[in-house]
Amino acid sequence: MRMGAMLTDVIRALFQRPATRQYPFVRTDAPERLRGRLHWDGEKCTGCSLCVKDCPAQALEVFMVDKATKRVVLRYHLDRCTYCAQCVVSCRQSALTMSHDEWELADTDKVLFTITCGDDADVQRMEELAPKDAVEQP
Amino acid sequence: MSEKSEKFIVPIGPQHPALKEPGHFEFTVDGEVVTGASVRLGYAHRGIEKATESRNWTQNMYLLERICGICSHIHALAYCLGVEKLAGVSAPPRAQAIRSVVAELERIHSHLMWLGVAAHEAGFETLFMYSWRDRETLMDVLEALTGNRVNYSANLIGGVKFDINADQRDTILRALEFLEERTAHYMDIVTTDVVFLRRTRGIGTTSAAQAELLGLVGPTARASGVARDVRIDAPYAAYADFPVTLILHNVGDLESRFIVRINELLESYRLIRQILDHMPEGELTARVPRRIKEGETISRVEAPRGELFYFIKSNGSDTPERIKVRTPTMCNMASVPVLGIGQQLADIPMILAGIDPCFSCNDRAAVIHQGDDGDTWTWERLRQYGIDYYRGQP
Repeated sequence: MRMGAMLTDVIRALFQRPATRQYPFVRTDAPERLRGRLHWDGEKCTGCSLCVKDCPAQALEVFMVDKATKRVVLRYHLDRCTYCAQCVVSCRQSALTMSHDEWELADTDKVLFTITCGDDADVQRMEELAPKDAVEQP
Repeated sequence: MSEKSEKFIVPIGPQHPALKEPGHFEFTVDGEVVTGASVRLGYAHRGIEKATESRNWTQNMYLLERICGICSHIHALAYCLGVEKLAGVSAPPRAQAIRSVVAELERIHSHLMWLGVAAHEAGFETLFMYSWRDRETLMDVLEALTGNRVNYSANLIGGVKFDINADQRDTILRALEFLEERTAHYMDIVTTDVVFLRRTRGIGTTSAAQAELLGLVGPTARASGVARDVRIDAPYAAYADFPVTLILHNVGDLESRFIVRINELLESYRLIRQILDHMPEGELTARVPRRIKEGETISRVEAPRGELFYFIKSNGSDTPERIKVRTPTMCNMASVPVLGIGQQLADIPMILAGIDPCFSCNDRAAVIHQGDDGDTWTWERLRQYGIDYYRGQP
Protein backbone atom coordinates (compact mmCIF):
# COMPACT_ATOMS: atom_id res chain seq x y z
CA MET A 1 0.00 0.00 0.00
CA ARG A 2 1.42 3.33 -0.99
CA MET A 3 0.37 6.78 -2.13
CA GLY A 4 1.14 8.39 -5.48
CA ALA A 5 2.17 5.19 -7.24
CA MET A 6 2.56 7.00 -10.54
CA LEU A 7 4.58 9.92 -9.24
CA THR A 8 7.85 8.54 -10.62
CA ASP A 9 6.31 8.24 -14.11
CA VAL A 10 5.13 11.83 -13.95
CA ILE A 11 8.49 13.21 -12.81
CA ARG A 12 10.36 11.17 -15.42
CA ALA A 13 8.02 12.48 -18.13
CA LEU A 14 9.06 16.05 -17.31
CA PHE A 15 12.43 15.32 -18.87
CA GLN A 16 11.11 13.48 -21.92
CA ARG A 17 9.94 14.72 -25.28
CA PRO A 18 6.14 14.87 -25.77
CA ALA A 19 4.59 11.53 -26.76
CA THR A 20 2.34 13.20 -29.33
CA ARG A 21 3.39 13.73 -32.93
CA GLN A 22 3.77 17.26 -34.25
CA TYR A 23 1.48 16.70 -37.26
CA PRO A 24 1.05 18.59 -39.64
CA PHE A 25 4.47 20.23 -39.03
CA VAL A 26 6.21 16.86 -38.93
CA ARG A 27 4.69 14.29 -41.23
CA THR A 28 5.77 10.73 -40.45
CA ASP A 29 5.77 8.22 -43.26
CA ALA A 30 2.77 5.95 -43.42
CA PRO A 31 3.42 2.19 -43.21
CA GLU A 32 3.76 0.28 -46.50
CA ARG A 33 0.45 -1.46 -45.99
CA LEU A 34 -1.65 1.62 -45.28
CA ARG A 35 -4.75 1.64 -47.43
CA GLY A 36 -4.93 5.01 -49.14
CA ARG A 37 -6.32 6.30 -52.43
CA LEU A 38 -7.27 3.71 -55.03
CA HIS A 39 -5.41 3.51 -58.34
CA TRP A 40 -6.66 1.81 -61.47
CA ASP A 41 -4.77 0.39 -64.43
CA GLY A 42 -7.00 0.73 -67.50
CA GLU A 43 -4.77 -1.53 -69.59
CA LYS A 44 -5.35 -4.50 -67.30
CA CYS A 45 -9.05 -3.96 -66.58
CA THR A 46 -11.47 -6.19 -68.47
CA GLY A 47 -14.59 -4.49 -67.12
CA CYS A 48 -15.85 -7.60 -65.28
CA SER A 49 -17.33 -5.39 -62.52
CA LEU A 50 -16.45 -7.79 -59.72
CA CYS A 51 -15.07 -4.83 -57.76
CA VAL A 52 -18.41 -3.02 -58.10
CA LYS A 53 -20.31 -6.09 -56.87
CA ASP A 54 -18.13 -6.52 -53.80
CA CYS A 55 -17.65 -2.88 -52.83
CA PRO A 56 -19.46 -2.44 -49.51
CA ALA A 57 -19.78 1.32 -50.00
CA GLN A 58 -20.86 1.65 -53.67
CA ALA A 59 -17.73 3.67 -54.26
CA LEU A 60 -17.02 2.26 -57.71
CA GLU A 61 -18.79 2.40 -61.04
CA VAL A 62 -17.52 0.64 -64.14
CA PHE A 63 -18.63 1.72 -67.62
CA MET A 64 -18.01 -0.46 -70.64
CA VAL A 65 -17.57 2.10 -73.40
CA ASP A 66 -16.74 -0.37 -76.16
CA LYS A 67 -17.28 -4.07 -75.58
CA ALA A 68 -15.35 -5.25 -78.63
CA THR A 69 -12.10 -3.43 -77.83
CA LYS A 70 -12.62 -3.65 -74.03
CA ARG A 71 -12.54 0.11 -73.48
CA VAL A 72 -13.48 0.66 -69.86
CA VAL A 73 -13.94 3.76 -67.73
CA LEU A 74 -13.93 3.66 -63.94
CA ARG A 75 -15.64 6.22 -61.77
CA TYR A 76 -14.30 6.26 -58.21
CA HIS A 77 -16.07 8.05 -55.36
CA LEU A 78 -13.36 9.01 -52.91
CA ASP A 79 -15.87 10.19 -50.33
CA ARG A 80 -17.83 6.94 -50.28
CA CYS A 81 -14.78 4.70 -50.15
CA THR A 82 -14.13 3.01 -46.79
CA TYR A 83 -10.58 1.97 -47.79
CA CYS A 84 -11.21 -1.69 -47.03
CA ALA A 85 -9.28 -2.94 -50.11
CA GLN A 86 -11.89 -5.56 -50.98
CA CYS A 87 -11.84 -4.38 -54.62
CA VAL A 88 -8.07 -4.92 -54.72
CA VAL A 89 -8.58 -8.48 -53.50
CA SER A 90 -11.56 -9.13 -55.78
CA CYS A 91 -9.80 -7.95 -58.96
CA ARG A 92 -8.53 -10.96 -60.86
CA GLN A 93 -6.46 -8.87 -63.27
CA SER A 94 -4.61 -6.95 -60.52
CA ALA A 95 -5.81 -3.72 -62.11
CA LEU A 96 -6.49 -2.06 -58.76
CA THR A 97 -3.94 -1.01 -56.17
CA MET A 98 -4.04 1.20 -53.11
CA SER A 99 -1.46 3.87 -52.55
CA HIS A 100 0.12 3.98 -49.10
CA ASP A 101 1.21 7.62 -49.07
CA GLU A 102 -1.89 9.33 -50.47
CA TRP A 103 -4.03 9.57 -47.36
CA GLU A 104 -4.50 13.32 -46.83
CA LEU A 105 -7.60 13.34 -48.99
CA ALA A 106 -9.86 15.85 -47.28
CA ASP A 107 -11.13 18.75 -49.35
CA THR A 108 -13.76 21.47 -49.22
CA ASP A 109 -14.94 20.87 -52.79
CA LYS A 110 -17.22 17.87 -53.16
CA VAL A 111 -16.75 17.70 -56.93
CA LEU A 112 -13.14 16.65 -56.48
CA PHE A 113 -14.24 13.48 -54.71
CA THR A 114 -15.63 11.94 -57.88
CA ILE A 115 -12.71 10.74 -59.91
CA THR A 116 -13.17 9.45 -63.42
CA CYS A 117 -10.32 7.30 -64.68
CA GLY A 118 -9.75 6.20 -68.25
CA ASP A 119 -8.65 7.32 -71.67
CA ASP A 120 -9.76 10.92 -72.48
CA ALA A 121 -11.80 9.90 -75.52
CA ASP A 122 -13.42 7.06 -73.58
CA VAL A 123 -14.30 9.36 -70.70
CA GLN A 124 -15.89 11.82 -73.09
CA ARG A 125 -17.98 9.08 -74.70
CA MET A 126 -18.96 7.72 -71.32
CA GLU A 127 -20.00 11.12 -70.07
CA GLU A 128 -22.36 11.48 -73.03
CA LEU A 129 -23.84 8.08 -72.19
CA ALA A 130 -23.93 8.40 -68.39
CA PRO A 131 -23.70 11.95 -67.08
CA LYS A 132 -22.42 12.53 -63.54
CA ASP A 133 -24.88 12.97 -60.71
CA ALA A 134 -25.28 16.61 -59.82
CA VAL A 135 -23.23 17.38 -56.74
CA GLU A 136 -24.82 19.61 -54.16
CA GLN A 137 -22.46 22.27 -52.98
CA PRO A 138 -22.77 23.38 -49.37
CA MET B 1 -47.56 11.63 1.28
CA SER B 2 -45.06 11.88 4.06
CA GLU B 3 -41.65 13.28 3.33
CA LYS B 4 -39.93 10.01 4.16
CA SER B 5 -41.73 7.86 1.58
CA GLU B 6 -40.89 10.19 -1.32
CA LYS B 7 -38.43 8.76 -3.77
CA PHE B 8 -35.66 10.82 -5.21
CA ILE B 9 -34.62 9.69 -8.68
CA VAL B 10 -31.34 10.74 -10.27
CA PRO B 11 -31.53 10.44 -14.05
CA ILE B 12 -28.19 9.90 -15.77
CA GLY B 13 -27.81 10.12 -19.52
CA PRO B 14 -28.68 9.49 -22.31
CA GLN B 15 -25.85 11.92 -23.12
CA HIS B 16 -22.51 10.70 -21.80
CA PRO B 17 -23.47 8.58 -18.80
CA ALA B 18 -19.88 8.23 -17.58
CA LEU B 19 -18.78 7.12 -21.04
CA LYS B 20 -19.11 8.85 -24.35
CA GLU B 21 -21.92 6.67 -25.59
CA PRO B 22 -25.68 6.96 -25.11
CA GLY B 23 -27.57 5.07 -22.41
CA HIS B 24 -30.11 6.19 -19.86
CA PHE B 25 -30.01 5.19 -16.21
CA GLU B 26 -32.36 6.09 -13.39
CA PHE B 27 -31.14 5.65 -9.85
CA THR B 28 -33.43 5.94 -6.87
CA VAL B 29 -31.35 7.27 -4.03
CA ASP B 30 -31.64 7.56 -0.30
CA GLY B 31 -29.10 10.23 0.52
CA GLU B 32 -26.00 9.04 -1.30
CA VAL B 33 -26.94 5.36 -1.34
CA VAL B 34 -28.59 3.84 -4.40
CA THR B 35 -31.76 1.93 -3.53
CA GLY B 36 -33.11 1.16 -6.98
CA ALA B 37 -31.89 1.31 -10.56
CA SER B 38 -33.18 0.93 -14.08
CA VAL B 39 -31.44 1.02 -17.42
CA ARG B 40 -32.75 1.97 -20.84
CA LEU B 41 -30.74 1.28 -23.95
CA GLY B 42 -31.37 1.54 -27.64
CA TYR B 43 -30.29 5.09 -28.45
CA ALA B 44 -27.69 3.90 -30.92
CA HIS B 45 -29.81 1.33 -32.73
CA ARG B 46 -28.66 1.34 -36.33
CA GLY B 47 -30.62 -1.45 -38.00
CA ILE B 48 -27.49 -3.29 -39.04
CA GLU B 49 -29.09 -6.74 -38.87
CA LYS B 50 -31.78 -5.70 -41.35
CA ALA B 51 -29.20 -3.99 -43.55
CA THR B 52 -27.26 -7.26 -43.90
CA GLU B 53 -30.19 -8.74 -45.79
CA SER B 54 -29.69 -6.36 -48.70
CA ARG B 55 -25.94 -6.89 -49.13
CA ASN B 56 -23.98 -9.82 -50.43
CA TRP B 57 -21.83 -12.07 -48.22
CA THR B 58 -18.64 -10.14 -48.92
CA GLN B 59 -20.13 -6.69 -48.39
CA ASN B 60 -21.66 -7.80 -45.09
CA MET B 61 -18.27 -8.58 -43.64
CA TYR B 62 -17.37 -4.89 -43.81
CA LEU B 63 -20.75 -3.81 -42.50
CA LEU B 64 -20.58 -6.17 -39.51
CA GLU B 65 -17.00 -5.16 -38.84
CA ARG B 66 -18.38 -1.70 -38.16
CA ILE B 67 -20.74 -2.83 -35.40
CA CYS B 68 -17.97 -2.01 -32.95
CA GLY B 69 -15.12 0.41 -33.39
CA ILE B 70 -13.01 -1.23 -30.73
CA CYS B 71 -13.47 -4.93 -31.41
CA SER B 72 -13.99 -4.74 -35.17
CA HIS B 73 -11.79 -7.71 -36.12
CA ILE B 74 -13.60 -10.12 -33.84
CA HIS B 75 -16.97 -9.28 -35.43
CA ALA B 76 -15.64 -9.97 -38.90
CA LEU B 77 -13.96 -13.11 -37.59
CA ALA B 78 -17.17 -14.46 -36.02
CA TYR B 79 -19.00 -13.76 -39.26
CA CYS B 80 -16.33 -15.31 -41.49
CA LEU B 81 -16.08 -18.44 -39.32
CA GLY B 82 -19.85 -18.82 -39.50
CA VAL B 83 -20.04 -18.34 -43.27
CA GLU B 84 -17.12 -20.73 -43.81
CA LYS B 85 -18.91 -23.32 -41.66
CA LEU B 86 -22.05 -22.89 -43.78
CA ALA B 87 -20.08 -23.21 -47.02
CA GLY B 88 -18.23 -26.27 -45.72
CA VAL B 89 -14.84 -24.60 -46.21
CA SER B 90 -12.19 -23.91 -43.62
CA ALA B 91 -9.49 -21.30 -43.84
CA PRO B 92 -5.88 -22.59 -44.10
CA PRO B 93 -3.91 -22.96 -40.82
CA ARG B 94 -1.65 -19.99 -41.54
CA ALA B 95 -4.67 -17.76 -42.09
CA GLN B 96 -6.20 -19.00 -38.83
CA ALA B 97 -2.96 -18.20 -36.99
CA ILE B 98 -2.88 -14.67 -38.44
CA ARG B 99 -6.53 -14.21 -37.46
CA SER B 100 -5.66 -15.19 -33.90
CA VAL B 101 -2.68 -12.83 -33.80
CA VAL B 102 -4.82 -9.89 -34.91
CA ALA B 103 -7.58 -10.91 -32.47
CA GLU B 104 -5.09 -10.95 -29.59
CA LEU B 105 -3.56 -7.63 -30.64
CA GLU B 106 -7.06 -6.24 -30.67
CA ARG B 107 -7.70 -7.65 -27.19
CA ILE B 108 -4.54 -5.91 -25.95
CA HIS B 109 -5.61 -2.58 -27.42
CA SER B 110 -9.13 -2.98 -26.02
CA HIS B 111 -7.97 -3.91 -22.51
CA LEU B 112 -5.41 -1.09 -22.42
CA MET B 113 -8.10 1.29 -23.52
CA TRP B 114 -10.45 -0.02 -20.85
CA LEU B 115 -7.72 0.38 -18.24
CA GLY B 116 -7.49 4.03 -19.18
CA VAL B 117 -11.26 4.59 -19.24
CA ALA B 118 -11.81 2.88 -15.91
CA ALA B 119 -8.97 4.86 -14.34
CA HIS B 120 -10.52 8.04 -15.76
CA GLU B 121 -13.88 7.16 -14.15
CA ALA B 122 -12.09 6.77 -10.85
CA GLY B 123 -10.46 10.17 -11.33
CA PHE B 124 -7.02 8.66 -11.84
CA GLU B 125 -6.13 10.76 -14.89
CA THR B 126 -2.43 9.91 -14.79
CA LEU B 127 -3.05 6.21 -15.32
CA PHE B 128 -5.53 7.09 -18.08
CA MET B 129 -2.98 9.21 -19.96
CA TYR B 130 -0.10 6.77 -19.62
CA SER B 131 -2.04 3.64 -20.52
CA TRP B 132 -3.38 5.37 -23.62
CA ARG B 133 0.08 6.55 -24.56
CA ASP B 134 1.29 2.95 -24.39
CA ARG B 135 -1.73 1.75 -26.31
CA GLU B 136 -0.56 3.99 -29.14
CA THR B 137 2.44 1.66 -29.63
CA LEU B 138 0.01 -1.11 -30.36
CA MET B 139 -2.13 1.00 -32.66
CA ASP B 140 0.99 1.66 -34.73
CA VAL B 141 1.68 -2.08 -34.86
CA LEU B 142 -1.86 -2.78 -36.01
CA GLU B 143 -1.58 -0.06 -38.64
CA ALA B 144 1.70 -1.45 -39.96
CA LEU B 145 0.35 -4.98 -39.95
CA THR B 146 -3.14 -4.51 -41.37
CA GLY B 147 -3.13 -1.10 -43.02
CA ASN B 148 -5.55 0.66 -40.71
CA ARG B 149 -5.75 1.71 -37.09
CA VAL B 150 -9.38 0.87 -36.55
CA ASN B 151 -11.40 -1.29 -38.94
CA TYR B 152 -8.49 -3.55 -39.84
CA SER B 153 -10.30 -5.51 -42.58
CA ALA B 154 -7.86 -8.36 -42.05
CA ASN B 155 -10.37 -11.07 -42.84
CA LEU B 156 -11.69 -12.44 -46.06
CA ILE B 157 -14.34 -15.11 -46.27
CA GLY B 158 -12.02 -18.11 -46.49
CA GLY B 159 -8.83 -16.59 -45.14
CA VAL B 160 -6.96 -13.36 -44.52
CA LYS B 161 -5.77 -10.53 -46.75
CA PHE B 162 -2.10 -10.44 -45.80
CA ASP B 163 0.83 -12.37 -44.43
CA ILE B 164 3.06 -11.48 -41.49
CA ASN B 165 6.62 -11.08 -42.73
CA ALA B 166 9.86 -11.16 -40.72
CA ASP B 167 10.00 -7.36 -40.37
CA GLN B 168 6.49 -7.15 -39.03
CA ARG B 169 7.14 -10.05 -36.71
CA ASP B 170 10.04 -8.11 -35.21
CA THR B 171 7.92 -4.96 -34.91
CA ILE B 172 5.24 -6.89 -33.02
CA LEU B 173 7.77 -8.55 -30.70
CA ARG B 174 9.48 -5.23 -29.95
CA ALA B 175 6.14 -3.61 -29.10
CA LEU B 176 5.18 -6.55 -26.88
CA GLU B 177 8.43 -6.30 -24.97
CA PHE B 178 7.77 -2.64 -24.18
CA LEU B 179 4.12 -3.29 -23.32
CA GLU B 180 4.91 -6.24 -21.09
CA GLU B 181 7.12 -4.08 -18.91
CA ARG B 182 4.49 -1.33 -18.77
CA THR B 183 1.68 -3.80 -18.02
CA ALA B 184 3.58 -5.25 -15.07
CA HIS B 185 4.00 -1.67 -13.83
CA TYR B 186 0.25 -0.99 -14.16
CA MET B 187 -0.53 -4.19 -12.30
CA ASP B 188 1.66 -2.93 -9.50
CA ILE B 189 -0.14 0.43 -9.49
CA VAL B 190 -3.73 -0.84 -9.47
CA THR B 191 -3.01 -3.31 -6.67
CA THR B 192 -0.97 -1.01 -4.42
CA ASP B 193 -2.04 2.62 -4.87
CA VAL B 194 -4.03 3.24 -1.72
CA VAL B 195 -6.19 6.05 -3.13
CA PHE B 196 -7.12 4.04 -6.20
CA LEU B 197 -7.89 0.96 -4.12
CA ARG B 198 -10.43 2.98 -2.15
CA ARG B 199 -12.37 3.25 -5.42
CA THR B 200 -12.06 -0.39 -6.44
CA ARG B 201 -11.60 -2.76 -3.50
CA GLY B 202 -14.90 -4.18 -2.26
CA ILE B 203 -16.96 -2.09 -4.73
CA GLY B 204 -19.61 -3.79 -6.84
CA THR B 205 -18.73 -7.25 -5.59
CA THR B 206 -20.33 -10.01 -7.67
CA SER B 207 -20.31 -13.54 -6.30
CA ALA B 208 -19.85 -16.49 -8.64
CA ALA B 209 -23.47 -17.51 -8.08
CA GLN B 210 -24.66 -14.00 -8.91
CA ALA B 211 -22.50 -13.93 -12.03
CA GLU B 212 -23.99 -17.25 -13.16
CA LEU B 213 -27.49 -16.02 -12.44
CA LEU B 214 -27.03 -12.77 -14.35
CA GLY B 215 -25.37 -14.62 -17.21
CA LEU B 216 -22.19 -12.56 -17.17
CA VAL B 217 -19.56 -13.26 -19.82
CA GLY B 218 -15.93 -12.49 -20.51
CA PRO B 219 -13.49 -10.88 -18.06
CA THR B 220 -16.44 -9.61 -15.98
CA ALA B 221 -17.49 -13.22 -15.26
CA ARG B 222 -13.92 -14.47 -14.88
CA ALA B 223 -13.29 -11.83 -12.20
CA SER B 224 -16.03 -13.53 -10.17
CA GLY B 225 -14.44 -16.94 -10.55
CA VAL B 226 -16.72 -18.21 -13.34
CA ALA B 227 -14.58 -20.30 -15.70
CA ARG B 228 -16.00 -19.12 -19.01
CA ASP B 229 -13.89 -18.41 -22.08
CA VAL B 230 -14.93 -19.37 -25.60
CA ARG B 231 -11.28 -19.67 -26.63
CA ILE B 232 -11.01 -22.57 -24.17
CA ASP B 233 -14.54 -23.99 -24.15
CA ALA B 234 -14.98 -24.12 -27.93
CA PRO B 235 -11.65 -23.24 -29.59
CA TYR B 236 -11.90 -21.48 -32.95
CA ALA B 237 -9.32 -20.09 -35.42
CA ALA B 238 -5.89 -21.19 -34.13
CA TYR B 239 -6.78 -21.50 -30.44
CA ALA B 240 -6.97 -25.30 -30.60
CA ASP B 241 -3.28 -25.46 -31.60
CA PHE B 242 -2.23 -22.60 -29.35
CA PRO B 243 -4.18 -23.06 -26.11
CA VAL B 244 -5.02 -20.12 -23.88
CA THR B 245 -4.54 -20.23 -20.12
CA LEU B 246 -7.73 -19.36 -18.29
CA ILE B 247 -7.36 -16.24 -16.17
CA LEU B 248 -9.51 -16.35 -13.07
CA HIS B 249 -9.88 -14.33 -9.91
CA ASN B 250 -12.48 -15.08 -7.33
CA VAL B 251 -13.19 -11.91 -5.38
CA GLY B 252 -15.54 -10.32 -7.91
CA ASP B 253 -15.07 -6.67 -7.00
CA LEU B 254 -13.77 -3.94 -9.29
CA GLU B 255 -10.20 -4.64 -8.25
CA SER B 256 -10.48 -8.24 -9.49
CA ARG B 257 -11.73 -6.99 -12.82
CA PHE B 258 -8.59 -4.90 -13.09
CA ILE B 259 -6.45 -7.88 -12.10
CA VAL B 260 -8.17 -10.24 -14.55
CA ARG B 261 -7.91 -7.86 -17.48
CA ILE B 262 -4.28 -7.01 -16.80
CA ASN B 263 -3.43 -10.70 -16.44
CA GLU B 264 -5.21 -11.31 -19.72
CA LEU B 265 -2.93 -8.73 -21.30
CA LEU B 266 0.10 -10.70 -20.11
CA GLU B 267 -1.49 -13.92 -21.39
CA SER B 268 -2.11 -12.31 -24.79
CA TYR B 269 1.57 -11.28 -25.03
CA ARG B 270 2.61 -14.85 -24.31
CA LEU B 271 0.12 -16.26 -26.82
CA ILE B 272 1.15 -13.91 -29.64
CA ARG B 273 4.80 -14.81 -29.11
CA GLN B 274 3.95 -18.49 -29.17
CA ILE B 275 1.93 -18.18 -32.39
CA LEU B 276 4.62 -16.09 -34.08
CA ASP B 277 7.29 -18.64 -33.11
CA HIS B 278 5.33 -21.60 -34.46
CA MET B 279 3.58 -20.01 -37.40
CA PRO B 280 2.20 -22.75 -39.69
CA GLU B 281 3.28 -22.46 -43.33
CA GLY B 282 0.92 -22.50 -46.28
CA GLU B 283 -1.77 -20.67 -48.18
CA LEU B 284 -3.61 -17.60 -46.94
CA THR B 285 -7.00 -18.17 -48.53
CA ALA B 286 -9.35 -20.98 -49.42
CA ARG B 287 -11.88 -20.65 -52.22
CA VAL B 288 -15.42 -19.94 -51.08
CA PRO B 289 -18.32 -19.84 -53.55
CA ARG B 290 -20.21 -16.56 -53.99
CA ARG B 291 -23.47 -18.31 -53.19
CA ILE B 292 -23.54 -19.98 -49.80
CA LYS B 293 -25.34 -23.31 -49.35
CA GLU B 294 -28.74 -23.20 -47.73
CA GLY B 295 -28.67 -23.72 -43.98
CA GLU B 296 -28.19 -22.05 -40.65
CA THR B 297 -25.38 -21.96 -38.17
CA ILE B 298 -24.12 -20.28 -35.05
CA SER B 299 -20.66 -18.91 -34.50
CA ARG B 300 -19.18 -18.04 -31.11
CA VAL B 301 -15.96 -16.20 -30.41
CA GLU B 302 -14.37 -14.54 -27.39
CA ALA B 303 -14.41 -10.79 -27.96
CA PRO B 304 -12.37 -8.61 -25.57
CA ARG B 305 -15.56 -8.07 -23.57
CA GLY B 306 -16.81 -11.65 -23.58
CA GLU B 307 -18.69 -14.09 -25.71
CA LEU B 308 -19.80 -12.75 -29.08
CA PHE B 309 -22.54 -14.75 -30.72
CA TYR B 310 -23.60 -14.83 -34.37
CA PHE B 311 -26.54 -16.65 -35.90
CA ILE B 312 -26.35 -16.86 -39.67
CA LYS B 313 -29.02 -18.25 -41.97
CA SER B 314 -28.61 -18.70 -45.68
CA ASN B 315 -31.25 -19.44 -48.29
CA GLY B 316 -28.74 -20.47 -50.91
CA SER B 317 -28.42 -17.08 -52.58
CA ASP B 318 -25.59 -14.55 -52.51
CA THR B 319 -27.19 -12.60 -49.65
CA PRO B 320 -27.92 -13.88 -46.14
CA GLU B 321 -31.50 -14.55 -45.11
CA ARG B 322 -30.96 -13.49 -41.50
CA ILE B 323 -28.05 -12.53 -39.28
CA LYS B 324 -28.49 -12.11 -35.55
CA VAL B 325 -25.74 -10.69 -33.39
CA ARG B 326 -25.53 -10.81 -29.62
CA THR B 327 -22.70 -8.79 -28.20
CA PRO B 328 -21.14 -9.32 -24.74
CA THR B 329 -22.35 -5.97 -23.39
CA MET B 330 -25.92 -7.20 -23.80
CA CYS B 331 -25.17 -9.98 -21.31
CA ASN B 332 -23.18 -7.86 -18.89
CA MET B 333 -25.42 -4.79 -18.84
CA ALA B 334 -28.00 -6.53 -16.62
CA SER B 335 -25.48 -6.58 -13.81
CA VAL B 336 -25.23 -2.77 -13.57
CA PRO B 337 -28.70 -2.08 -12.06
CA VAL B 338 -28.37 -5.13 -9.80
CA LEU B 339 -24.89 -4.38 -8.51
CA GLY B 340 -25.59 -0.69 -8.18
CA ILE B 341 -28.12 -1.20 -5.39
CA GLY B 342 -26.63 -0.49 -1.99
CA GLN B 343 -23.61 1.31 -3.43
CA GLN B 344 -22.71 4.97 -3.23
CA LEU B 345 -24.00 7.03 -6.16
CA ALA B 346 -20.43 8.18 -6.83
CA ASP B 347 -19.35 4.57 -7.41
CA ILE B 348 -21.94 3.98 -10.15
CA PRO B 349 -19.78 5.27 -13.03
CA MET B 350 -17.03 2.89 -11.89
CA ILE B 351 -19.44 -0.05 -11.70
CA LEU B 352 -20.70 0.78 -15.18
CA ALA B 353 -17.17 1.10 -16.54
CA GLY B 354 -16.26 -2.14 -14.78
CA ILE B 355 -18.18 -4.26 -17.29
CA ASP B 356 -16.38 -2.47 -20.14
CA PRO B 357 -19.64 -1.49 -21.82
CA CYS B 358 -19.97 -0.80 -25.52
CA PHE B 359 -23.40 0.72 -26.10
CA SER B 360 -23.48 0.93 -29.86
CA CYS B 361 -22.52 -2.74 -30.17
CA ASN B 362 -25.28 -3.69 -27.90
CA ASP B 363 -28.26 -1.82 -29.29
CA ARG B 364 -30.62 -3.98 -31.25
CA ALA B 365 -34.35 -4.54 -31.15
CA ALA B 366 -35.51 -6.79 -28.33
CA VAL B 367 -39.12 -7.47 -27.47
CA ILE B 368 -39.89 -8.96 -24.09
CA HIS B 369 -42.98 -11.12 -24.43
CA GLN B 370 -44.69 -12.51 -21.39
CA GLY B 371 -46.95 -15.55 -21.59
CA ASP B 372 -46.82 -18.87 -23.39
CA ASP B 373 -48.60 -18.00 -26.62
CA GLY B 374 -46.39 -17.27 -29.59
CA ASP B 375 -45.93 -13.82 -31.01
CA THR B 376 -44.78 -12.85 -34.47
CA TRP B 377 -43.53 -9.45 -35.48
CA THR B 378 -43.86 -8.93 -39.20
CA TRP B 379 -42.01 -6.19 -41.03
CA GLU B 380 -45.30 -4.27 -41.44
CA ARG B 381 -46.05 -4.53 -37.72
CA LEU B 382 -42.55 -3.33 -36.82
CA ARG B 383 -42.89 -0.43 -39.22
CA GLN B 384 -46.28 0.54 -37.81
CA TYR B 385 -44.87 0.25 -34.29
CA GLY B 386 -42.08 2.64 -35.27
CA ILE B 387 -44.52 5.17 -36.73
CA ASP B 388 -46.80 4.99 -33.68
CA TYR B 389 -43.87 5.23 -31.31
CA TYR B 390 -42.62 8.44 -32.82
CA ARG B 391 -46.12 9.89 -32.80
CA GLY B 392 -46.08 9.26 -29.07
CA GLN B 393 -48.56 6.39 -28.81
CA PRO B 394 -46.64 3.15 -28.60
